[in-house]
Amino acid sequence: MNYPMVKILMLKDWYLQRWIILATFAGGLASLGIIAIGSDGAFFIGLLLLITALVALSGQLAMSAIVGERKEQTLPFVMSLPISYREYTTSKIVGNLLIFVVPWAVMAIGSFALLAFSPKSQGLIPYTAIMATEILVNACLVASVAVITEAQSWTIAAIILGNIGLNGIGYLVAHVNGVARWMWGSSIHWSPAAYALLITEFAIIGLMIGFTFFTQSRKKDFL
Amino acid sequence: MIAVHFEGVKKTYPHFALDDINFSLPAGCVMGFIGANGAGKSTTIRILMGLVHADGGTVRVLGHAMPAEQAAAKLDIGFVSEDMRLYPSATIAWHMEFIRSIYPQWDATYAESLLRRFDLKKEQKVKGLSHGQRVKAALLLALARKPKLLVLDEPTTGLDPVARREVLEEFMAVLADEERTILFSSHNTLDVEQISDQITFIDRGRIIDSNDKEIFLDRWRRLRLVLPADSELPSVPGVIEVGGSGRMPVLTTNRFEPAMVSAYRDKGATVQAVDNMTLEEIFVANVSSRRAGERA
Repeated sequence: MNYPMVKILMLKDWYLQRWIILATFAGGLASLGIIAIGSDGAFFIGLLLLITALVALSGQLAMSAIVGERKEQTLPFVMSLPISYREYTTSKIVGNLLIFVVPWAVMAIGSFALLAFSPKSQGLIPYTAIMATEILVNACLVASVAVITEAQSWTIAAIILGNIGLNGIGYLVAHVNGVARWMWGSSIHWSPAAYALLITEFAIIGLMIGFTFFTQSRKKDFL
Repeated sequence: MIAVHFEGVKKTYPHFALDDINFSLPAGCVMGFIGANGAGKSTTIRILMGLVHADGGTVRVLGHAMPAEQAAAKLDIGFVSEDMRLYPSATIAWHMEFIRSIYPQWDATYAESLLRRFDLKKEQKVKGLSHGQRVKAALLLALARKPKLLVLDEPTTGLDPVARREVLEEFMAVLADEERTILFSSHNTLDVEQISDQITFIDRGRIIDSNDKEIFLDRWRRLRLVLPADSELPSVPGVIEVGGSGRMPVLTTNRFEPAMVSAYRDKGATVQAVDNMTLEEIFVANVSSRRAGERA
């Protein structure tokens, strides 16, 4: 693996997507500001905006940095560089997830901090951690579908599916006994169910990345 | 040294197949790769670049087995294709810096001189460039990395005559470097004729002919005959196509020798003219005679 070349390609995507990243940061920080107001209404509006900003970032990154390479016909330019398709795939998966993880981590930490400093809602922290990881699963799904299919239609389908899944999983997790029992309490309680859900989410991320590399290694036509 | 070597290369798609592609391009040569649209030029070039994996056969480029060693091979290849685009939101300067960071042999002085020669402005974003300027910018990025092998897939398609002239002149300047090898695909035979010293014709996924340009131009001729009344066209080896009418046939040969003229004269025919053929005429005659042979 030519790591210096992978790094150059990742930095290229960071540069080309810089305005999207900055816009997400601005939107995310504004959302955290709204949550910090403290009222119930502000909390839900802020949370909704925060999730929207992250979901929009994952979709926009996949469409622009992955599908866009084929759609805008810049793929022949990139693939004319001294790289293999494995290195290209690595740069796209790792690069896009890193771009996503930075604002995601800032916003997740911001959310935890707000909840931690509010004695009434500390019980929400495990649920927030599970849902924040679910947003990461969602971003990974969209990036994997975009890399494998390089098609706008499939990527949009993955974005829609991920979004529906996020709402559905949010509802289901809130009704899992081991999470729901302590969710609205004033202290943090990490139940075995909460741990199991988090481990499952990270396992799904690992499986999706592995499947993407496996599928890419079997491709025979890259243009 | 052989820069590009294809041996028994096959690639099958549902509605198209490359069949048994064999050719070699020695280092320092310029090969014109000519074929009609859909003949298989781009697929062949993509296999050469490692971007499409062949179903069978072997490909070696600059001593590297493709596609396994494509990353190492592409360090010394400059590639420009008609369907290649640069990043629209970035400037030419950003692209130059991007390529410079990858290729240690990047020649900044040469890049600057190409900017001036192509009348390009570094600060300009790619989305604001015309098609001709985009092609020139892509060429600049390919040339200034000083590649040992330049692969050009229809680079002059869609260019206006002035831009085409500038681009071809730059290719000719590049040819001054005898170490440089160029594979130049096009359906525009005039462009290919100007810069190539080897020609390969491809049609319907098969290489139909490959030789030195001068050999093509020397061996292909059109003979205009007048036959005596009530006589048939004498049979002379090397004629691949007969046109014209009755007593005034026009023959196309791919094995012309002055002895052919004497042979026809000896058999009573009057040879009115022996015409040279352009590369385009040779290509068209070659394709139609092969296709006629396949139909027969």
